[in-house]
Amino acid sequence: MDFQIITNNPKVKTELEETCNVNYFEISYREILEKVRDMCHGGYKLLSHPLSGSVKPNETPYKSVMVSARKGNADSESIHIIENCMIAFDKFPDLGNKWTPSVLDDFQVIDFYLISGAVGSAI
Amino acid sequence: MKLEMGYIDIKDIQFGAESKVENGVLYVNADEVKKLVLDNEEKIKNVTLDIAKPGESVRITPVKDVIEPRVKVEGRGGIFPGVISGVDTVGSGKTYALRGSAVVTAGKIVGFQEGIIDMSGIGAQYTPFSKLNNLVVVCEPVDGLKQHEYEEAVRFSGFRVACYLGELARELTPDETKVYETCTIKEGLEKYPDLPRIAYVQMLQSQGLLHDTYVYGVDAKKTLSTIMNPTEIMDGAIVSGNCVSACDKNPTYVHMNNPVVHDLFEEHGKTINFVCHILTNENVYLADKQRSSDWSAKLCKLLDLDGVLISQEGFGNPDTDLIMNCKKIEAEGVKTVIITDEYAGRDGKSQSLADADVAADACVTGGNANEYITLPAMDKVIGTTDYVNTIAGGNEHSLHADGSIEIEIQAITGATNETGFNNLSAR
Repeated sequence: MDFQIITNNPKVKTELEETCNVNYFEISYREILEKVRDMCHGGYKLLSHPLSGSVKPNETPYKSVMVSARKGNADSESIHIIENCMIAFDKFPDLGNKWTPSVLDDFQVIDFYLISGAVGSAI
Repeated sequence: MKLEMGYIDIKDIQFGAESKVENGVLYVNADEVKKLVLDNEEKIKNVTLDIAKPGESVRITPVKDVIEPRVKVEGRGGIFPGVISGVDTVGSGKTYALRGSAVVTAGKIVGFQEGIIDMSGIGAQYTPFSKLNNLVVVCEPVDGLKQHEYEEAVRFSGFRVACYLGELARELTPDETKVYETCTIKEGLEKYPDLPRIAYVQMLQSQGLLHDTYVYGVDAKKTLSTIMNPTEIMDGAIVSGNCVSACDKNPTYVHMNNPVVHDLFEEHGKTINFVCHILTNENVYLADKQRSSDWSAKLCKLLDLDGVLISQEGFGNPDTDLIMNCKKIEAEGVKTVIITDEYAGRDGKSQSLADADVAADACVTGGNANEYITLPAMDKVIGTTDYVNTIAGGNEHSLHADGSIEIEIQAITGATNETGFNNLSAR
């Protein structure tokens, strides 16, 4: 398998860790983007779009991103996309929402569906 | 390909003992509609029907899809090919539409995101669907149904109800008839040798479950970029399975009435030769984006186009597809105009898109989705406002005790539509 999934979504961990290389972290959406950005600068290639889904980054707390399993030369396209995504992320103000468990579950489901689509294309 | 569109104007909608259209009034037998939904969809345990007319103090939320009732009167195939009708090429012959009416599906599919349609007040000015006589179908799922199964059941139910109502038009005489005709490649070159060859590149939302679009029943994320006759959409060749981002998603009604297609037809044979409709997708996997935009550009070159209009659907991820399409098509020597909307912050000063390029130097915007407004309370709510605080553009202060809602316009269905099927304008 030539990819790994960087995620803070517990549903992605539970559902995909047996079939895919899932790296789960208990961190924020922005911290996931930072981690992916650092990986891209370090030579990992971005394989799925970091702003996947039309759920806005200040609504859902969950994000899963697919990157290459191995490092190579830094990929300028990957860096361009992740840097632009971080600029886009930062213009959404924190709305201070306190989500109910059922809404959190829906956000997890949406993020899981999105990354599953990428997994379907990658294998 | 030639399609005659007959429009029957609907000025009012009422429940009645018999479903029929008489003197511009659409009468709906509620029991028949409920039976139609429940008999065909075992995942739906209960259906509630309601009516919402222009000018009424009514709020519909959460809205999933809006669909125009149509019927195929002559020619190949039927409405919603590959979905409700069999798979057959549509877009020729004769089709009737109940213009001024719609089926609106509503249901709590996910606990956020789906939109608001206000039938009066300031909110009504932001959504084009406030001008329609709406039959609202609220579907309640059987217990334990997964979100994407619920979405599918509501999607199919909406199409069935729209076809049922459309059938009422079959024997009627249209109030207005318009003829849409495109040429083959060779005919177009001979007929309009001096007119620029223009196509429409439509990017279809295809990021995954609850973010899907279907073409002749096929999930768009599993397709390569392809071409269609522009009249095919008028028979429902493209349908929405998209639950997210109310302001800039394309409900099925928008696909059927896509203003880019209709406006290009207005100019066809006068200032342009409208060659074809190119479809491409917006997948999340970056290699899919690469492949799809390569194919869009390849088709533009192969068709010897002079220019294209490109519309996107959604925010963020699709911005990358939009710019990839724009750059690659321009690199083939074909001029582009992109149609998008903006998330430019509440003051409108932030960068609007998540991607950009110097090739994207001609842009039409549907408006700033972060614009903040207060919607007044309505006398009646169809659906529920339980979720208003958690739909896109809402926050914990959104729903006031008096029923008014403070919200970004991204919560309003169709407010910043990226095909231009919306009311915002600089004029």
